[in-house]
Amino acid sequence: MNEVARIHGQLYAELHAAWAIAKKDIAIYYLKPNIIVSGALFPLFMFLAFAVGKPAGPSVMIPGLIAITILFSASSIEPVSIPIERRMKTFDRLVSAPISLNAVVLGESLSGFLYSSGIAFVPFIAGMLIFGTQILSFLPLVTGVILTAFCFATMGTLFAAYPTESPGDIMSMLNMIRLPLIFISGVFIPIESIPSIGRIAVYFSPLTYGNDLIQAAYLGNTHFNPLIDVAMLCVFILVFQIIADRLYKKFNT
Amino acid sequence: MHAIEVSHLSKQFGTLTALDDISFSVAEGETFGFLGPNGAGKTTTIRILTGISTPSAGTATIFGKDIIRETIATRKQMGIVPETSNIYDDLTGWQNLMFTAELYTVGKNEREKRGRELLELFGLSERRNNKVHDFSKGMKRRLTLAMGLINDPRLLFLDEPTSGLDVQSNLIIRDVIRDLNARGVTVFLTTHNIEEANLTCDRVAIINRGRIAAIDSPERLKKTIQSVQSIEVAFDSAAAGRIEDLKQIPKVSEVRKEGDKFRLFTEDPSSVIAAIMEYAKTNNSRVLSISTFGPSLEDVFIKLTGLEIRTKGVSTVE
Ligand SMILES: Nc1ncnc2c1ncn2[C@@H]1O[C@H](COP(=O)(O)OP(=O)(O)OP(=O)(O)O)[C@@H](O)[C@H]1O
Ligand SMILES: [Mg+2]
Repeated sequence: MNEVARIHGQLYAELHAAWAIAKKDIAIYYLKPNIIVSGALFPLFMFLAFAVGKPAGPSVMIPGLIAITILFSASSIEPVSIPIERRMKTFDRLVSAPISLNAVVLGESLSGFLYSSGIAFVPFIAGMLIFGTQILSFLPLVTGVILTAFCFATMGTLFAAYPTESPGDIMSMLNMIRLPLIFISGVFIPIESIPSIGRIAVYFSPLTYGNDLIQAAYLGNTHFNPLIDVAMLCVFILVFQIIADRLYKKFNT
Repeated sequence: MHAIEVSHLSKQFGTLTALDDISFSVAEGETFGFLGPNGAGKTTTIRILTGISTPSAGTATIFGKDIIRETIATRKQMGIVPETSNIYDDLTGWQNLMFTAELYTVGKNEREKRGRELLELFGLSERRNNKVHDFSKGMKRRLTLAMGLINDPRLLFLDEPTSGLDVQSNLIIRDVIRDLNARGVTVFLTTHNIEEANLTCDRVAIINRGRIAAIDSPERLKKTIQSVQSIEVAFDSAAAGRIEDLKQIPKVSEVRKEGDKFRLFTEDPSSVIAAIMEYAKTNNSRVLSISTFGPSLEDVFIKLTGLEIRTKGVSTVE
């Protein structure tokens, strides 16, 4: 019983600290210009560059835009905040607190998640106002946005484990992954029309499942079973979390 | 139970040995100083004792708990003030304090009460709602200390708490350390300021190149090197070659010119004083003042760390 109480107490401490870390990020980083550029404007440019002029209608384009907005915004807080905190030595404060690295990773990801969930409203509202897009079902939309945002936020925290004091280093590594993801995840090019060599890669992209769920809200049908989409996103979140925890441990000696 | 117990601790960074098989223990309630020159391994030791860095070999326990196996439990009892004031420039002093309290799960009422007390203690109350960005270096340092105390730790780590600060900040910090000591809090501090170690520490470890050269109370350390008692003498007139003459006096191991005075190091002050008087007489000059000094902690430090040559070079400029 004592042991149960102790574990319960520690779990509370970890979640409490993770939330404190997220609040700190919100207060400090959300309005930093480079975060606004990479998190909010960049996905819009990507959209304009690749989507405009394609024959697909708004009910394909809007979910795609939501998906890539989440991809970029969720993974753009920690790759900026963590290197800055390494330079300012405030990161040591986090890793020397009486909490696990998992709680630090979770707290950092939480701030990216909240940021991204907020930004995702922009294309969603724009779709309704400008194109009059209809939502057929809210459940896959909400689930899709939450899981995708959390997944890419954790991915951002994972990349930020690389022990550098310069956000640019992490951003360029991250973009080597983020840009190809757009093309292999069925966002603008339907999965069916991706050539067979690329087809394998489709299954290894979390964006595939996130986009599939969000599309379901607009099109009413999914490429995979929605439960598969949810399960795969959860698996990616878990894997990213575990790898991130390991990497922070490894680089922190 | 010891507050800190370190046994055969080593740390390698690639081929560099930052800590070479060090062992020591700190009693509960003690103020313990780690005194050493740049690169001695002071910060490395603190980083290992706070579980940020892992040792290459050896063990460390905090209040009987292993720092590697029970990192979280041990950290709950400590406050950490690192070498660089690690605070958030974009947050206010108050927000910085509250954030740290939340990392340590200090309850809301408790943290607000302690926060107000600490800001008062460190003379920061008026600036509590200003962003830290505008704080002076000393204010940042004091805030970092306040943050290190927000969880009411049993053991406080201070990595060079007063280095580079003005007298006022220095005094506040020194007072706080004395206060903590009186309340039974164990303090582990590093410094390269010998006077600070002398004034604040119950015991001092002298560390150099990753090895501990000596551990004892400042007074006892001074006693270990009686050979560096010294005599300070001022003559009424300057004379060329005086330093060379003084060096000829038997049992004088070294002579330094310090301003308008000379300092002679010896094991036998009384015979040297007699010889100085004799010398003054034969050279027709008068001794204006003469006094004897026991060894200072600085002398111990110089002797044990082998930094003598550099110091000599500085102080014998004629
Ligand atoms: N992360 C690291 N990687 C490589 N070498 C390191 C690292 N940290 C410390 N060192 C080396 O270990 C040695 C001890 O460093 P440490 O910072 O512990 O010294 P210190 O006694 O705190 O010095 P100072 O008074 O300058 O703060 C130095 O030679 C330093 O260069
Ligand atoms: Mg140091």
